Amino acid sequence: MWLILVKLAWRNIFRNKRRTLIAAAAIGIGLTALIFIDAFTIGMAEIMIRTATASFLGDAQIHREGFRDEQEASLTIQALDEVTASLDGEAIVQHWTQRVLVAGMITSPANVSAINLVGVHPPTEKFLSLIDDAITEGTYFEADNSRDVVIGAKLAEILEIALGDRVVVTVAQAGTGALSQEMFRVSGIYHFADEGMNSGMAFILIQKAQEMLAIGKDVHEIAIKFTAIAYAQDPTLPFWDTYSQHGNEALSWTELMSQLTIVLEMTKYSKYIMGVILFAVVVFGIINTLFMSLYERMFEFGVLRAVGTRPFGMARVILFEAGALAIVSIILGTILGFLITALLAHTGIDYTGIEMMGVTMQEFIRPVMTVGQFIIYPIWVFVFTIIAGLYPAWHVAKMAPVDAMRRSF
Amino acid sequence: MDQRQKKDVIITEGVTKIYAADGIPVNALNGIDLTIESGEFTALVGPSGSGKTTFLNIISGLDSPTEGKVWLAGKVLSEMSGNELSDFRRDNIGFIFQAYNLIPVLTVEENVEYIMLLAGVPKAERHERVIAMLETVGLKGVANRTPTQLSGGQQQRVAIARAMVSEPTIILADEPTANLDSKTGADLLEMMRHLNMETGMTFIFSTHDPMVMESAERLITLRDGRIDSDETKE
Repeated sequence: MWLILVKLAWRNIFRNKRRTLIAAAAIGIGLTALIFIDAFTIGMAEIMIRTATASFLGDAQIHREGFRDEQEASLTIQALDEVTASLDGEAIVQHWTQRVLVAGMITSPANVSAINLVGVHPPTEKFLSLIDDAITEGTYFEADNSRDVVIGAKLAEILEIALGDRVVVTVAQAGTGALSQEMFRVSGIYHFADEGMNSGMAFILIQKAQEMLAIGKDVHEIAIKFTAIAYAQDPTLPFWDTYSQHGNEALSWTELMSQLTIVLEMTKYSKYIMGVILFAVVVFGIINTLFMSLYERMFEFGVLRAVGTRPFGMARVILFEAGALAIVSIILGTILGFLITALLAHTGIDYTGIEMMGVTMQEFIRPVMTVGQFIIYPIWVFVFTIIAGLYPAWHVAKMAPVDAMRRSF
Repeated sequence: MDQRQKKDVIITEGVTKIYAADGIPVNALNGIDLTIESGEFTALVGPSGSGKTTFLNIISGLDSPTEGKVWLAGKVLSEMSGNELSDFRRDNIGFIFQAYNLIPVLTVEENVEYIMLLAGVPKAERHERVIAMLETVGLKGVANRTPTQLSGGQQQRVAIARAMVSEPTIILADEPTANLDSKTGADLLEMMRHLNMETGMTFIFSTHDPMVMESAERLITLRDGRIDSDETKE
């Protein structure tokens, strides 16, 4: 019995090929959109996380407790030797680097600007930030000259200086607050899509920064890159407790850039909302298609009822038709979704320079396809199509045969 | 009554049907009392609007009377649930429509076997009965064709095969010859008469066709929802 109803449904949807194809295309495009949005969201999240962590932040950081809020130069990392020795033995840590951070002023003959001065250790810093890759003029501490400073293109523009020009950097020393001034020569200019890094940061060698602040060998920050980004997103990792001792705190990027975490969460919800809207459109499309097909064949349904098909049997015919339509739509949508997503994953989508919640995109977004997208969303489409078919099915089931066959006897 | 039900295939008592047409009540049937016995070959005639359609709808359980009762094969139709009525029609009534009304997406064999599928007849038996029935109606070798590949006369033969294959108690035929040329119509009519005599199945026609009226053994004329005349030929 089931077989004949399935046959009936399958053949019926191809009675009006054009209408079926249009309906299937509409549903299929909805599925394509879902697959693509999901792939795009994953790609975008990956880029945002990578941009945020790889540009300068790292996957995690260690600071002295209170440093992040107060930015006090004297709040250096406690038990530094013990911490660094331990980091060297961590299997999940791929790279780490030390930094000295302080707010200061940079002065050129033409102008003055507030900056965040960063003392870096270039051989290890290159694994944690992209400053060296972003150099557009000069070099990134190649000469190992303690008077070298690397600044952003925007800051150079503000200060009206070029490569090789001299600037004076002023900072307040730790503890005493006494001003410390040093002259530097611009040895490198970088360009970042991120406006903050372009205009508000200056990099010098870490020893020079420690000397200016009179903090000895101490540092303010250790930036860490894990062997896998997933470690940073695991709050149960023992790493956080291990390094949150001696008055220090170890935090992942999810806490350091909590706004990004919120954005990514919001993106997920946006995806769900978009999914619901798309499905609502699809559902009404299906109901409309099924009703059009139903009214065209009203007499036929009347005949089927007259010859003894039970009301539930009639409903099954419609539900099978909805299912058949879903299968055609899923085939179309999945193929189209794969092709479009694969194409855009190959070419990438240019979002570079666009800032989202403090993260400026520096790479093309490449949608990321997962097996789940081609299983879960088609299942959703199938289930929703069947649900959409319930109303027309109920309509057919409760239809009096005599009404359907009014043209009969 | 019980004694009559065994012989009488259809009994109607005071069947009245009132429709509301644009809010105005219209009496389509006015207290029809009728008995049709098993094996009859009866034609229901009358002008348009006389109540033929309504009467056939009511005796087949497709519609319910406003007043009165219908017994078909010993059962009171109004006492059955929706599913019971569906099963009852499947097992007891064969329909032949004016416009054939075969399911166009099913093959001839699938159209004919559909009712047996509903009844759960095993596949091998279904196939055997379909082939035999198609042979009976003169349609050997067309089982795998679709209705659109057949002529009007052939389609009506398939419709007859579909109506008769499950060996129902009664066949209700709505203007079965109206869409056919007179030669094909005459052939089909002769075939139905032959099947009636051979199987003892009851045939009730609604018709305007003089040829059908002529071959019917009983003529019931309806006018304004009442039985105007009821003649049985000798």
